[in-house]
Amino acid sequence: MTDLLRVRDLSTRFFTEEGQINAVENVSFTVEAGSVLGVVGESGSGKSVTGLSLIDLVESPGKITSGEVWYNNADLAERVEGDRPEAVDGDFVDLRRLSEAERRSLRGSAFSMIFQDPMSSFNPSITVGEQIAEAAEVQRRASANPRSTRSRTQGYGLGRMLLDGALPDRSYTSEESWDRAVELLERVGIPDPAERAEEYPHQFSGGMLQRAMIAQALAGDPDLLVADEPTTALDVTIQAQILDLLADLQETMEMSVVLITHNLGVIARVADRVSVMYAGEVVERGTLTDVFDRPVHPYTKGLLGSVPDIDRPGERLEPIAGNVPDLVDANMPDRCYFADRCPKAMTDCLTRLPEYEVSDSHRARCVLAEREYSEADAVPAERLARPTDGGATGDDGSTASDESAAPDAEVSDD
Amino acid sequence: MTDPLVTVDGLEKYYYENDTLLDRLTGAEPEAVRAVDGVSFDVREGETLGVVGESGCGKSTLAETLMRLREPTGGSVTFDGDPVFELSGGDMDAFRRRAQVMFQDPFSSLDPRMTAGEIITEPLAIHDVGTAAERRERAETLLEEVGLSADQIDRYPHEFSGGQRQRIGFARALAIDPEFVVLDEPVSALDVSVQAQVLNLLADMQAERDLTYLFIAHDLSVVRHISDRVAVMYLGEIVEIGPTEEIFEDPQHPYTKALLESVPRADTDERDRVVETIRGDVPSPRDPPSGCSFRTRCPELIQPPWLDAPQAAFREISEFRTRIENGDIDVDTRWERVGDPDREDRAAFVDALREEAFDEDLPDNDEETVREAIRALADGDREAAAATLRERYRSPCEAIDPALPAGNHPDACLRNEQPADVEAAREEWEADHDAPEVGASSR
Ligand code: SF4
Ligand code: SF4
Repeated sequence: MTDLLRVRDLSTRFFTEEGQINAVENVSFTVEAGSVLGVVGESGSGKSVTGLSLIDLVESPGKITSGEVWYNNADLAERVEGDRPEAVDGDFVDLRRLSEAERRSLRGSAFSMIFQDPMSSFNPSITVGEQIAEAAEVQRRASANPRSTRSRTQGYGLGRMLLDGALPDRSYTSEESWDRAVELLERVGIPDPAERAEEYPHQFSGGMLQRAMIAQALAGDPDLLVADEPTTALDVTIQAQILDLLADLQETMEMSVVLITHNLGVIARVADRVSVMYAGEVVERGTLTDVFDRPVHPYTKGLLGSVPDIDRPGERLEPIAGNVPDLVDANMPDRCYFADRCPKAMTDCLTRLPEYEVSDSHRARCVLAEREYSEADAVPAERLARPTDGGATGDDGSTASDESAAPDAEVSDD
Repeated sequence: MTDPLVTVDGLEKYYYENDTLLDRLTGAEPEAVRAVDGVSFDVREGETLGVVGESGCGKSTLAETLMRLREPTGGSVTFDGDPVFELSGGDMDAFRRRAQVMFQDPFSSLDPRMTAGEIITEPLAIHDVGTAAERRERAETLLEEVGLSADQIDRYPHEFSGGQRQRIGFARALAIDPEFVVLDEPVSALDVSVQAQVLNLLADMQAERDLTYLFIAHDLSVVRHISDRVAVMYLGEIVEIGPTEEIFEDPQHPYTKALLESVPRADTDERDRVVETIRGDVPSPRDPPSGCSFRTRCPELIQPPWLDAPQAAFREISEFRTRIENGDIDVDTRWERVGDPDREDRAAFVDALREEAFDEDLPDNDEETVREAIRALADGDREAAAATLRERYRSPCEAIDPALPAGNHPDACLRNEQPADVEAAREEWEADHDAPEVGASSR
């Protein structure tokens, strides 16, 4: 299978009053053409910021500080080659070496994104059809003339992302774009699309609006759809519908999807490959089977062991002790970030670790990829400078960490 | 079988809209939102009864009404023999001590300037239990019991993580030594690894203190994990209730089946699991469907006695009928699409809409009936179109309201055992309706 996207050592930081937050730290992964990459992690793992970084939507005080994002697109490579040969490698273009304007012009047609809350992606005072037609219009005009885009959906998540140019015209959309909007609504399974297109966002149910947001994201026929917790706010029966739809669209439109979620079931349902994130790093990645059936990293194992199994109940859950670190640069230790919660921590783990190769398709940032656990090498808990002990059961940490730390809210991960 | 600690009988909580003074003066009918619509069940001593359902099913309103945090509009709740809605004075105080509730975010209603210790001891202070020093000592013990440390007693909520705050909320609920605790989505805001910690804590405390739980959640895996029995709610009603194992291994109600199937499993076989997703959205509790409230989405919708169509075709026809009845199909745009401004080519209109609305092949008689309805629609006669379909495709599920019978594992579906009065109503309905002749009104 050919690769669509190769991400190398991508880092994104937030420069806040509390200090520098390392939201995404040297993340590498590959998205194959026409396949689904699942990115899974808990709050504060950096998974959402990773998604935003991919398509250059990180906002101040955040900044992508290093890394390469190689995008497979022969036409683009040819166009860029003359000016910037260093940004081109065969059919691949390193998006990080393009200008911001060049990257922006790829939104919608190359990359698109959907979010957890579709309400925030739509302007409440414009009909759903009109807003999707605008996205279609922008794409239509952009392919004719790459610098002529702005619309009234500005300020609304996806709308803003797709439509970042200038054109304050009132009757902006053509009939052609309207027809395209109706067609897109139909494509995402909205019955009576012509009628529903005339309605306002508040007239749509949550599931319908989620479909409409997907329709909007498809307007430019993107190569890659980044879906950030697209089903988290939905009821489980509606979630099943949306997952079906995503799988179907992905297949018929030969699109790649990066699906970001905390839900391991959702990953198992649609992902071909999986990256597990913890504290801003990808700690394990591989095929679905690599990660779910042959996990190496104790965090991956812990995550799988924490989920109550609907088909095999009754067993006591095995939670991971403690909480995620706060990602403040000054507090991040020079060791495996998981060591303070890891039941297998050894002296080998007290240094920053590379990604180890477990197999051709499988990587883990953990010494257990290379060696067995040995009691003799275990690190005494004091050496891991755990924040003060949580008390009787010793879990759950004790200082304010995950949700309560400001950075989390600011980088809006979950 | 242990005795019920709590007995809920026909509990109702309606909200009324259009019920301001002005509305009454102008004679606007108050509109009822049936959040909880006649719910009956027992909670047995020492068990965990899980209540599961999707948003808007009324499970949280159920919890609040049962605890008398909201006034019911009907029905009764008995706690250890006492009628909760009739208690007052000292008896009500006693109930408030013996039954506690913990919410998803126990701090949203609390003063953020209170310390953990103050939060935990507030119920003791309200009920005037012990001296200040004794209460503080109690808070320290509780903190240790829920897995925190006593020296965190003077910290503020914002200094704790989400999982820790949930532990403090739980310590508060336990402070006054209740017998019964209602847990309303207690772990749904937590990350999975932390969620597992809190679930283990809840189980441990129940075993230690003989607590009885009513556990409300939307996450079926969590409910299965923690509950002894499970009640499934849909649109303000319980549609199935029974022992956890039976509900999950042998679900009876079509909604329960659909709900269980919809949960994605964290397993590498999940990709190949066939999931029959149910279509559509939950209808509004302002305007619930007649008959069985699940009928608009039910894959097993019952065909009238005179019909024997493939089930998938029957469902498509029923959905098409609903769209016509709701006026969702705009005839003008359909004519536009046919591209015949004079509206003469009725056949083209019929073919186009027939193609648009149906994936399934239809048996000849049904094909003819559907086309007849579309012809009426083409002429702009929506009522006639609806009537044609209604006559042939009306389901008993839209006329008869199934009930939840008594028993160990009952469910409210007409396909399964129903009380005698419901069965009788259904027989009467079937006797009253005959098979229409196909093509009789064909033009
Ligand atoms: S590197 Fe060491 S501490 Fe880190 S996850 Fe692996 S075994 Fe645990
Ligand atoms: S009564 Fe009819 S509509 Fe309701 S659940 Fe049973 S079969 Fe489905």
